Amino acid sequence: MIKLFSLKQQKKDGEATPKVGNQKKASAAQLRITKDINELNLPKTCNTEFPDPDDLLSFKLIICPDEGFYRGGRFVFSFKVGPNYPHEPPKVKCETPVYHPNIDLDGNVCLNILREDWKPVLTINSIVYGLQYLFLEPNPEDPLNKEAAEVLQNNRRVFEMNVLKAMRGGCVGSTFFERCLK
Amino acid sequence: MDVAVQIKDAFPKRWCHLKKVLERTGPFCHPDFEPSTDVTNHFIMTTCKILVIGAGGLGCELLKNLALMGFKDIHVIDMDTIDLSNLNRQFLFRRKDIGQSKAEVAAKFINQRIPGCNVTPHYNKIQDFDECFYRQFHIVVCGLDSIVARRWINGMLISLLTYDDDGDLEQSSIIPMVDGGTEGFKGNVRVILPGISACIECTLDLFPPQVTYPLCTIASTPRLPEHCIEYVKVIQWPKENPYEAAIDGDDPVHINWIYEKASERANQFNISGVNFRLVQGVVKNIIPAVASTNAAIAAACTTEVFKIATSCSVPLSNYMVFNDVDGLYTYTYEAEKKDDCLACGQTAKVLEIKSTEIKLQQLIDQLTESYQMKNPGVTTSINGKNRTLYLPTVSSIEEQTRENLKKNLGDLGLENGSEINVADVTSPNTLVFVLKVASESMQVE
Amino acid sequence: MASPAPKSPEQSDKSKKYDRQLSFFLDADNIGKSRAQVATQLLLELNPDVKGDFVDESPKQILETNPDFFIGHTLVIATAISERVLVPLSTRLWDAGIPLIVARSYGFIGSIRIQVEEHTVVESHPDDQHPDLRLDAPFPALKQFADSFDMSQLELKDHARIPYVVPLYQALQTWMQQHDGAFPKSSKDKNELRDLIKKGNKNPDSEEQNFTEAIRAVNFAIRKTVVPTDVQDILNDNKCINLTSKSKPFWITAKAVKDFVDNEGKGLLPLRGSLPDMTSDTNNYVKLQQIYHKQSSKDAEIVFRRAQQLLYSLSQPRDNISEAYVKNFCKHESSIAIQRGSCITSEYDQKTANASEIALSLEQPDSMMVYYVMLRAIDRFFDEYNAYPGEFDDQLEVDIIKMKSCISKLLSEWSCGPLSKDDYVHEICRYGGAELHSVSAFIGGCAAQEAIKIITKQYKPINNTLIYDAISSNTATFAF
Repeated sequence: MIKLFSLKQQKKDGEATPKVGNQKKASAAQLRITKDINELNLPKTCNTEFPDPDDLLSFKLIICPDEGFYRGGRFVFSFKVGPNYPHEPPKVKCETPVYHPNIDLDGNVCLNILREDWKPVLTINSIVYGLQYLFLEPNPEDPLNKEAAEVLQNNRRVFEMNVLKAMRGGCVGSTFFERCLK
Repeated sequence: MDVAVQIKDAFPKRWCHLKKVLERTGPFCHPDFEPSTDVTNHFIMTTCKILVIGAGGLGCELLKNLALMGFKDIHVIDMDTIDLSNLNRQFLFRRKDIGQSKAEVAAKFINQRIPGCNVTPHYNKIQDFDECFYRQFHIVVCGLDSIVARRWINGMLISLLTYDDDGDLEQSSIIPMVDGGTEGFKGNVRVILPGISACIECTLDLFPPQVTYPLCTIASTPRLPEHCIEYVKVIQWPKENPYEAAIDGDDPVHINWIYEKASERANQFNISGVNFRLVQGVVKNIIPAVASTNAAIAAACTTEVFKIATSCSVPLSNYMVFNDVDGLYTYTYEAEKKDDCLACGQTAKVLEIKSTEIKLQQLIDQLTESYQMKNPGVTTSINGKNRTLYLPTVSSIEEQTRENLKKNLGDLGLENGSEINVADVTSPNTLVFVLKVASESMQVE
Repeated sequence: MASPAPKSPEQSDKSKKYDRQLSFFLDADNIGKSRAQVATQLLLELNPDVKGDFVDESPKQILETNPDFFIGHTLVIATAISERVLVPLSTRLWDAGIPLIVARSYGFIGSIRIQVEEHTVVESHPDDQHPDLRLDAPFPALKQFADSFDMSQLELKDHARIPYVVPLYQALQTWMQQHDGAFPKSSKDKNELRDLIKKGNKNPDSEEQNFTEAIRAVNFAIRKTVVPTDVQDILNDNKCINLTSKSKPFWITAKAVKDFVDNEGKGLLPLRGSLPDMTSDTNNYVKLQQIYHKQSSKDAEIVFRRAQQLLYSLSQPRDNISEAYVKNFCKHESSIAIQRGSCITSEYDQKTANASEIALSLEQPDSMMVYYVMLRAIDRFFDEYNAYPGEFDDQLEVDIIKMKSCISKLLSEWSCGPLSKDDYVHEICRYGGAELHSVSAFIGGCAAQEAIKIITKQYKPINNTLIYDAISSNTATFAF
């Protein structure tokens, strides 16, 4: 059995005035994200950008699909990793306006592992692959952009043309999309 | 007669109950226990310094309990102010206190009620304080509703551990942590001896995952009142940003806005059941607090603090769950320490270097040679700020940190005793190394 | 006791001025004042909506001079009360039908004893409960709704948004047709049913979410709807079958439910009427939700009318049972519960004590029954010597011997063998009657919760004795 404060010693008086907490040790979330980032194994269509290399908690992911409806496009996602990582998933938003059934015009992304199916064993890499898959196989059954989902379901040709129109910079229906072709 | 003395002696028999368990030994005492002859000279009344984190439902109970168990030097941290909805269970607060600091009002109340007890309030976030502050306490008790805060304080207490030259934990550096949590009629109490028993991070999966709904459900096919509320929270609020601020679950104006918008949406879809209370619950992600659960859990926490501080009985080993939905059920077990825990699973390995004059490249070569690493990424923490020294696998970081390879360690801010974090495919976790300059003796705080 | 907030703090003892307790609510200014008065004042401060009163007399005095005093209270909580007073108090309250909670804090040990003759619970809030979908006995509106979909004709996007109840129901109908109307029972049957559901899946690439849910639901939704045994016991209870003019709303409503089961319900309880969340478009989900809700309202309406007839025939006022009460009852009927307790007096009488429970538990090596024995022995000790064992330093050794003899006497009264637990005797004598605030606060918090359960008739109370050991942080429940 351990002997706790066996001396019952008087402890040193600490600073009572607040000083910004500088833990000498990196937090568990920090250690984990370092590992995740160092082991990023990106598909050739993806790239990351770290505006501040010291801040591994916020970065951008750029996806340039080389097949499927979105071939030739360039889509930027922002990642924000919180202090409760990996208990909670990072917050991911799509910064490029995109005509896509699972991404709305505000950049919200409907991907199960970003919300209800997130598990701490998943990594940043899992999310990258999930997002990449969304561009290869847009899923009309879980729509965030209902109009786009309906078009995809009813007429794939029209959907394909709409995607191209949007990526070239133009209007689909009444919504204008900025050009995002490489 | 001297007034001060009069106050001190106002309760000549206040501590007579403690005398029995502190002045007599018994078969279930901790082996360290030494009966004291005069209870008022006892450690808890003279030296022992307790930190209570949180002055909410559990915190109010903890402060009252600790004070009545004889603890005299108590600090309390809470960053919140008192809200009307707190008054039903946070019994140190009155209507007139609304808007004031929880920590300050609670401390004042206790100090008035229990002469001789000195509670020091800190109207702060726990992150406002550094190691120096936390090191002054003998025991930390948490009454928190946030996992982030628990993980932070857990990490802080682990970072205070020191090891002797043989790599053995110095027991005087351990600050035990007693953690209580409640959710409706359920609760738990745990005792954490940092570095020795399971820590918060070891058992992170014990915390239930947040309830979330698929984004497409809340956007296109809502069925439950919760779906409508989540829609406003996740999609409508960021879009309309009605008060140019993030949602504050404690601000009735914010909650009211969400309530109105969620009601509109629910009407549109013929969904019933959106009410103010549910909105608050969903937004704050909380299950309503029950006063009696708080009372029981805080009491059990206090008993553990008392046992640890006095050794008059062995402490809980190490986790108790409590549930009084059907009768009253408790279960006590020993949560296991995880060998690969990110917080307490590794003691920093010593990495001996020739001097801080060597280049970062040389340090990395040393890592790949001695530890057979493949492509290590190295970060450190300087004055509490994270710093990426070199990360080879991500091209944008690699480009920005490549220059560092040619710099010597001293110029990068590293010194004897600095810690570096090394991530590599050859190890499942990021490894922590403490630098030791071969010629100098190590000076670790 | 320090922490619990008694409903009416009448248990005060005039002779016991505030001199030995360390209650938080009392401060230095109040020394010498009546404890009941000060406690009442300070408790009222906590919540302005509470009304409180105090009587500055001992329970013993009240029992002797004003035994009707307790009548009219919903509940009585007694703390730190001696056997001599507890026994007559418990008899008095048992006879009056008033629940009694006895809370105790002694060193590192605490206990709660609940004395209630009969406690009925409508909302027991069980953690897990299967939904009441009635797929085996579909009511007309459900049938009509489920039959109205021709799944094979639906477009994929609609197909994937039909609530799983529909494909599950339709597959079940097909299976039953193939089996001469039989209902799937064995796991082979259920696997066949799952295969049938899978065939209906339309998306060639992946399983549709609602179909996944339908397949999963085979486990819990494909079963014969029955009246749970616990509920059957209540419906067949003598109190339910033989109503009197004094019967409580619970029993009258239970009888009305029983009549429903025997007639309109054709052997089944009224429909609960709540639909769990499931993948679906909003429109069809809300429709289905309303179908279940409407049917359950219909059933509850019948039960309500029957209850009104019963009230009439029992010459009870009609407003004894409201429609809202019946609706709530029907919503929770599959988890209604009853607890029947015992009088503390009989527990303390060696002729009626539950000796077998004590003896059996004591045979278990780590049973916390040993603390029950200790607490009873303390009572016996106090009764004989008017002090707590170990209360005075110079008597400690002698008290240990006396305490052992109290234990032996008790054990022999219960016809139990000797107890070789000297450690526990030493520990108990160490306490010498000490009350530790944190142990009191634990017991106080728990006892308050039990009081709320009994008053609100929600959640199941402790049945009927809880022992708390703060040394190991364990609890155990025993029924005496």
